Amino acid sequence: MKKFLHAALAVSTLLPFAIGQSPKNPPDLTGVWSPLRATGEYAKFAPPAAGPLVLKPEYSKPYEARRAMEAEASKRGEPLATGGAQCIPYGVPTMMRIASYPVEILQLPKQITIIGEAFSEVRRVFMDKPQAPVDDVAPGYYGRSAGHWDGDTLVVDTIGIKPSVNGYLGMPHSEKMRVTERFKLLAPDVLHDQITIEDPVVLEKPVSYTLAFRRMPDYEMVEFVCDNNREYVDEKGIVRMRVKGQ
Amino acid sequence: MNSRLLNGLAVAVLLVVPALAHHSFTMFDMTKQVTVVGTVTGFEWTNPHCYIEIDATNESGTVKHWSIEMGSPSILQQGGWKFSSLKKGDKATLVINPHKSEPGGGFLFSATLPDGRVLGNGPGRGPQK
Repeated sequence: MKKFLHAALAVSTLLPFAIGQSPKNPPDLTGVWSPLRATGEYAKFAPPAAGPLVLKPEYSKPYEARRAMEAEASKRGEPLATGGAQCIPYGVPTMMRIASYPVEILQLPKQITIIGEAFSEVRRVFMDKPQAPVDDVAPGYYGRSAGHWDGDTLVVDTIGIKPSVNGYLGMPHSEKMRVTERFKLLAPDVLHDQITIEDPVVLEKPVSYTLAFRRMPDYEMVEFVCDNNREYVDEKGIVRMRVKGQ
Repeated sequence: MNSRLLNGLAVAVLLVVPALAHHSFTMFDMTKQVTVVGTVTGFEWTNPHCYIEIDATNESGTVKHWSIEMGSPSILQQGGWKFSSLKKGDKATLVINPHKSEPGGGFLFSATLPDGRVLGNGPGRGPQK
């Protein structure tokens, strides 16, 4: 038996993947990850600049007009209603970066779970099942995610995000949107999530951006139940604040 | 108080207010700061925001009530706040940005607690831990 183990060990060292990087022994992403501030010793981990967001002409004009209207309303101090202001969660992929809130990754061989602290959002990435056809997934906030390891990179494919879910930079999207993420450790405690959005209906070409995270070994995730929302939307669609006793 | 200094501070912090989780903060006047001295009538450690309810008495003895919005528990605890940092009956001094259209509404910049500690309201707003 011992001889067999030695032989197996010898063979394993000949495999193409370094120990800790093969699909059978992938890097462990379990932990709490906070948005990385790329300053000081972390400056070298700054993510690359985001690619351009290019919408098809029929979507581009209304999108630009909406953005201009939002900016104008915001300047007046009368911000327009958003899902967030009404405590509606952000969904995939926006939930991966909400202000300075962390995300927690729980990695098991068959499922990787990602919990966003803001709004307590939960994504499940199935590691042992193939992706379904897009027409078979009920559109929702998190859709259906299937993952696999490409060497030391976790690749997550997500489909089934419903069009009403807030898009990247507020972009419109269709039920055909596909989000591909590549999670890679740049250092033991530094993670990049490269996010690529494809949408044959809305986008002229795929758009990519990368989020950088830092592992927070001692951080305890905080609950987030939106039960005291004093912001409300008035009949003009403007976000207002309730003041007690007024 | 030196309002020119306060205005200068307000302009400086405007540039570093982080991306927002819940809503835009342009409903608050970030160019103006008001100091509210009073008695805490409630401290709500809740999402999406924490709130300080406070009664301020002016020189003529009139009581004005303020509802002061803060960050969320997650953001605030990183700046040294706890759910028990304030309680009903505490005397506190708050520096706030007033709401543009809701009288008595405001967004916290910093708070002086009964024990003398001064805490901010998330990144770029007041003292940082």
